[in-house]
Amino acid sequence: MANEYKTGSETIGAAGAKSKMTLFKDDRAEDIGSIIVTVLIVAVIVVMNMK
Amino acid sequence: MSSESPGFFRQLPSAIPGLALIIITMVVIRFWIEPWMGDTVILGQKGWLIKVTHLNYILLGIICGMLYRNVIFGGTMPEIFSNGFKLSRLMIKTGIIMLGSLYTFSAIVQLGSMAIFLIGGFVILTIIMVLWLGKVFGLDRSMTGVMANALSICGVSAAVATAPAVEAKASHVAYAIATILGFGILTMFISPFIGHALNLTDLQYGAWIGTGILNSGQVLAAALAFNPNVAPGTAVSVAEIWNIMRVISIPFAVFAITVWYWAGKDSADNTGKKKSLGTLLVEKFPVFVIGFMAMVFLTSMGAFGDVGLKGGPPASDTIKMLRLVMQWVFGFGLVGLGGFIDFKELRQAGGTPLKLGLIVGTTKYVLALIVVLLIKDSLVAI
Repeated sequence: MANEYKTGSETIGAAGAKSKMTLFKDDRAEDIGSIIVTVLIVAVIVVMNMK
Repeated sequence: MSSESPGFFRQLPSAIPGLALIIITMVVIRFWIEPWMGDTVILGQKGWLIKVTHLNYILLGIICGMLYRNVIFGGTMPEIFSNGFKLSRLMIKTGIIMLGSLYTFSAIVQLGSMAIFLIGGFVILTIIMVLWLGKVFGLDRSMTGVMANALSICGVSAAVATAPAVEAKASHVAYAIATILGFGILTMFISPFIGHALNLTDLQYGAWIGTGILNSGQVLAAALAFNPNVAPGTAVSVAEIWNIMRVISIPFAVFAITVWYWAGKDSADNTGKKKSLGTLLVEKFPVFVIGFMAMVFLTSMGAFGDVGLKGGPPASDTIKMLRLVMQWVFGFGLVGLGGFIDFKELRQAGGTPLKLGLIVGTTKYVLALIVVLLIKDSLVAI
């Protein structure tokens, strides 16, 4: 039952290509991607608010 | 393992239609639907829809995502939108890292050891209770992990933060959020009556609901319902700082649940190659949590200017803009998350998660009140 429950296309953290809910290779790559995106957003905001 | 995947940057152009749908949805919600709800008069009261249902852009975003998948597209996300919705987790993780800009280490120190001990104790006890009940009820391991952190910390953020670490599906997160919000709506209405009936002070009431109510927004609402004044020492100022303390434990709780999940999963899988705790930590540690901690550190160091804590100087323009962008990023991510919630799966899972949520939520709510009454003379106002 537990296995049935996990098949499908929306397993958030699954590593298999079919069950991924991310465009990244895996969770670790997505984590690093989110850190990079945050750094970019923060950098833009800090620059915009520089006096 | 997933080497068939064509790579992030090659797939990115195909994500544009889905991303556009997510962005348009959130823009419509924030610029048209929310203002309309605030202006509409129902039962002679302006803004009744917001005041009574407490629907906000986050909940509306999740609902829209769910409607896209389950109603408009008939149960499956069309190929053209699919890759755009797959960016939702990236946005949620980005929002969680930015959430670190809400906190400073100095605010935590002001709380005092009694508060920290009480909040930490409740977080740990709740996690233990959920893991135990999850086993008793035979609940899916991912679902149990998400519920453990959702019920022990601050609800929605904790559920979302834990989900990637325990292979949770969107429906698991949806269950956890539905349970928390359902329980929270109930406690939000009855808490002020109980507080006044027991003659609680603002300090006692704030400490109780900051510990006992699961969702941050509802903690705020319940505090203002008890005493609408916003000033240092009022119910809302106490409840919020207690709640912040609880939220700060998210990365630690995610870490603990990740270790629990993978340790149990590996033995359940019976693969014959048992991994050490160190290997598990290295392989499965959600790296975005380090980003969150780095953000708290930078905020504490004053890298973005004044934070705007109650009683202190107002928040800097940088902090204000960070929080505004964070709201949008969360909004986009949660529309995407809604798009992965499948009604068929919610029906399949039955009512066990709800039963577990109600048992644990009620226990925590009542126990928090008893403990606050027992230690009322030791509580420290900040």
